[in-house]
Amino acid sequence: MTKYTMVVDLDRCQGCRACMEACKIENNTTEGVFWMYVFRLEEGEYPNTQQTYLPRPCQHCDNAPCVKVCPVGARYKREDGLVLTDFDRCIGCRYCELACPYGVNYFNWGKPEKQHYGEWDDPDLQAVTGGANPPWSNPDLARPHGDEQRMVAGGGHHKGVMEKCTFCVHLVERGELPACVVTCPVQALRFGNTDDPETPVSRFIREHGHFRLLDELGTEPRVVYVGGQPPSDEVHEIELVHAGVER
Amino acid sequence: MTTAVTQPDMTREEVDLPTLPQGIGHLTRGWGVFVAIALAVVGFGTYAFMYQQSEGEIVTGLRNVGTMGGAPWGLYVAFLVYFVGVSFAGITIAALIRLFNLQALRPLARMAELLTVVSLVLASIAILADLGQPLRGIVNLFRYARPQSPFFGTFVLVISGYLFASLVYLYLGSRRDAAIMARESTRLQGLHSFVAAGYTDTPAERDRHERATFWLALAILPMLIVAHSTLGFVFGLQIGRPGWFSALQAPAFVVLAGVSGIGLLIVLAAVVRSVCDERDTLDEYVFAWLGRFLAVLTIAYLYFVLTELLTSTYAAGGREADVTDAILTGRYAWIFWGSTILFVVSLAGLLTQLLTKRWNIGTLVAIGIAVNLAAIGKRFLIVVPSQTDGMLLPYETGSYTPTWVEYGVVLGLIALGALAIAVFMKLIPIVELPEEVEADAS
Repeated sequence: MTKYTMVVDLDRCQGCRACMEACKIENNTTEGVFWMYVFRLEEGEYPNTQQTYLPRPCQHCDNAPCVKVCPVGARYKREDGLVLTDFDRCIGCRYCELACPYGVNYFNWGKPEKQHYGEWDDPDLQAVTGGANPPWSNPDLARPHGDEQRMVAGGGHHKGVMEKCTFCVHLVERGELPACVVTCPVQALRFGNTDDPETPVSRFIREHGHFRLLDELGTEPRVVYVGGQPPSDEVHEIELVHAGVER
Repeated sequence: MTTAVTQPDMTREEVDLPTLPQGIGHLTRGWGVFVAIALAVVGFGTYAFMYQQSEGEIVTGLRNVGTMGGAPWGLYVAFLVYFVGVSFAGITIAALIRLFNLQALRPLARMAELLTVVSLVLASIAILADLGQPLRGIVNLFRYARPQSPFFGTFVLVISGYLFASLVYLYLGSRRDAAIMARESTRLQGLHSFVAAGYTDTPAERDRHERATFWLALAILPMLIVAHSTLGFVFGLQIGRPGWFSALQAPAFVVLAGVSGIGLLIVLAAVVRSVCDERDTLDEYVFAWLGRFLAVLTIAYLYFVLTELLTSTYAAGGREADVTDAILTGRYAWIFWGSTILFVVSLAGLLTQLLTKRWNIGTLVAIGIAVNLAAIGKRFLIVVPSQTDGMLLPYETGSYTPTWVEYGVVLGLIALGALAIAVFMKLIPIVELPEEVEADAS
């Protein structure tokens, strides 16, 4: 049995947000959507201030509030620990988004083909692209995954359904690491099986002090933070990503 | 006017068609204007709805919580909750009349049932407006129904069970009146015979009818408490959303549902009283009874507000306090204090009339409208601030401003409800035909 866990080493994270970029490219997410997000946080008053960084993928909780509230079972928990969204079944009620205390869910408010980055109507760009549709979704990912054979990977950005971090299920299933983990230039992110106590990830967690985000809510996240502390009530976000969607 | 039913030769003037009671089948100019306006608003709402379906909910003011700093649930859910709330009063009053045999209130029963059915239909349309994939929703909510989700209560219990039971209840009552009216040869005779569906109101049939409605009323009452409570649980069970997680949500939902429902029933009863010339049946006693009921429910609701307020200001810290601050002193303060003042003023008006024993229908109508505006405000405050100000991770505070699409759909829904009631009034008696007629007829 495999149980996937992600470890975030806060002592190493430098807040470069390369993981966010990698996620967007790997999963072709549309405008304003951050399956992986890195908080840049500041605490204290000048000159005694301290900056910390907090990467926030989906926590893939073992007791996931979003799975509990989904009225149609589109959001579900897999045997290997992943929490996924079946975008072929999702009805777009957004209850999962409100049940989730971490704010990791992103709804497709508009048509994905209209919500990708760049001014693709620009004549100069049209000359380069030859009028072709830019890659707002990856057809290679739009196929069923896992034992359940459900449509869960990053291929599907459809108007009116929910999406979120998949731990790059399409990569993990063929033994590769999620895009954010591979891209991190300082190896602050680790990923692996923690069902076996002798894997490198299991040993790393055992040997280091760690915490989980909002553990007191009983959600039992599968993302473990090593080094650093949970964000206190005093921190505030700096250099935040002001990214919304406009029509 | 009731004599016309049994003795068609006594109609005021010689016309080809006999006159039916309560202006049924007789279209007045005022009615035509009202229906035209309602149709126009419904048309606008339909346009807004279709526009949203084609472009996606990006045309609404709704956005993601967290990095987008928005609210995924807004006006649609607030009005869904409000409409389900309004449905409370109708069927409660209708069932109470049947169970406790409150003869003096019988004229209220039909319009109360109608209010329930209409508001539940509006609630289900509001759900569809909120869904990103409404067509898929209609199928999947039943195909993959999960009772573990608090939404199961809202969708399956409220919309199917409760709406279906109320429809049957409304139909059973209407059938009797339709059977009586089908004896007249009017343009509507075909419709009335169809609605009567073979029922002819013989003593044996009437006996069976009374028994069936009694047991149905008995079955609807617990269903009603369950349905309204589950809507409270949609919010109350969410530990990750400060301001929602509270055991008070379910009971408070039921009580506020009663306040808004009775308020609207008072307004509807006053309209019917003047439009259908029902001054004798919908007398001061009926309004005094509604006023007293509304006063009791308002007191109970204000008690809940006070309890919630004390708990959240005295004990709460962290994000829970942020949400409370936003409601009490922040951006949402005007809604909170506006609603609270409306409730308190309405209660004062009700208590004054209660103590002086002089009930003024005009004042009661104003109170009915006031408590409904206040209830809409409170529903908005339950839904929205916990999303914009209640993120547990250090996201920036969000905001939510509805767009014309959302206002359009909501106004369209209200107009649709008014239209449905107006059309119903011209087809089936909105006030049950009195007993004497029955006696004469049989």
